[in-house]
Amino acid sequence: MLQKSRKITFILAIISAIIGVMLTVQLRSSLDPVHKESRSIAELRASLQKELEKHKNLLADISKYNQLYYQYETSLSEDESLSVMREELARNRKMAGMVGVEGPGIAISIVDVEFDESIVDEHMSAPVVGGYSIDDEDLRWLVNILFANGAQAVSINGHRLISTTAIRNVGDVIQIDTRTIQPPYEMKALGEPEVLLSALKLEGVEEYFQLSNKHVLAEKRDKLIIPANREERSIRFMKPVKEKGDS
Amino acid sequence: MWLPLIGLIVGLVVGFLLDWRVPQEYSSYLSIALLAGLDTIFGGIRSFLERTFNVRIFLSGFFFNTLFAAGLAFIGGFLGIDLYLAAIVAFGVRLFNNLAVIRRIVLSRWINQQE
Repeated sequence: MLQKSRKITFILAIISAIIGVMLTVQLRSSLDPVHKESRSIAELRASLQKELEKHKNLLADISKYNQLYYQYETSLSEDESLSVMREELARNRKMAGMVGVEGPGIAISIVDVEFDESIVDEHMSAPVVGGYSIDDEDLRWLVNILFANGAQAVSINGHRLISTTAIRNVGDVIQIDTRTIQPPYEMKALGEPEVLLSALKLEGVEEYFQLSNKHVLAEKRDKLIIPANREERSIRFMKPVKEKGDS
Repeated sequence: MWLPLIGLIVGLVVGFLLDWRVPQEYSSYLSIALLAGLDTIFGGIRSFLERTFNVRIFLSGFFFNTLFAAGLAFIGGFLGIDLYLAAIVAFGVRLFNNLAVIRRIVLSRWINQQE
């Protein structure tokens, strides 16, 4: 009987141990659940609604900040384009001759040949000093050579040449646009001095002007100042062509 | 007589040490099984006091009751019927019955001893 009773208590002990394990597991699960789903559907729905609203608010925030970001970026690029436009405008003004420019280049002066009286003999008729005057054509040719060899800005006797400048003979004098110039002619050209000088040599400028008893003195200068074009210009007869795709 | 209590304490300690956690959706099955186990334990104590204790009946009752209770709850959940309520009610009633009987027996013994 004692044996049996001991056996029974042993079994009871095992069973109660199992019960204990189950109890603690249950206790732990209910005290500290893996995830809480004990709320009712209505509660869940309400919290879902809340979360959705929060989500919506966050999305709105995001879009707001995105918009702000875009604004900043576009204003930034506008600033940038403004400065680019300003730069471009300054460059264009420079190229169009609306501002004075300075830089390295050459100075050309066309002067009369000094006559050495000793070589003049009686057979020769005394040449008229400056008798063969220089034509507009000569100046145009010279200017063309300069421009063709990379001159950025050219002036004749302080008159800046621009794209619409005309050099022509009016009577005995040469006019640049509407201003008369008188000899001696002084030209300034901004550009690579070596290139310009060698171009003058290559084209035979010296010899050509010698025919009309003129000396061409071309000098390299490290710093030349060419003034702005002073002509009054107004835009008439032209307007920009609207290209396709141009808004 | 103290051995079952010691076993209970050992089980509690082991359960704490194991740190098992049952997911919320299965915890109802565990609670049903727990209830059934408790019912069986008290039934065993009662039968022990009444001197009709049978190890086989006790053991088979313990395992069958716990498993059947949990299975019933599971099937109930499957069918959408709260069958675990039936198990809870049945086991709860039996638990209280057993407790009442145990109390009565213990009391009558104590009174007998006093006299």
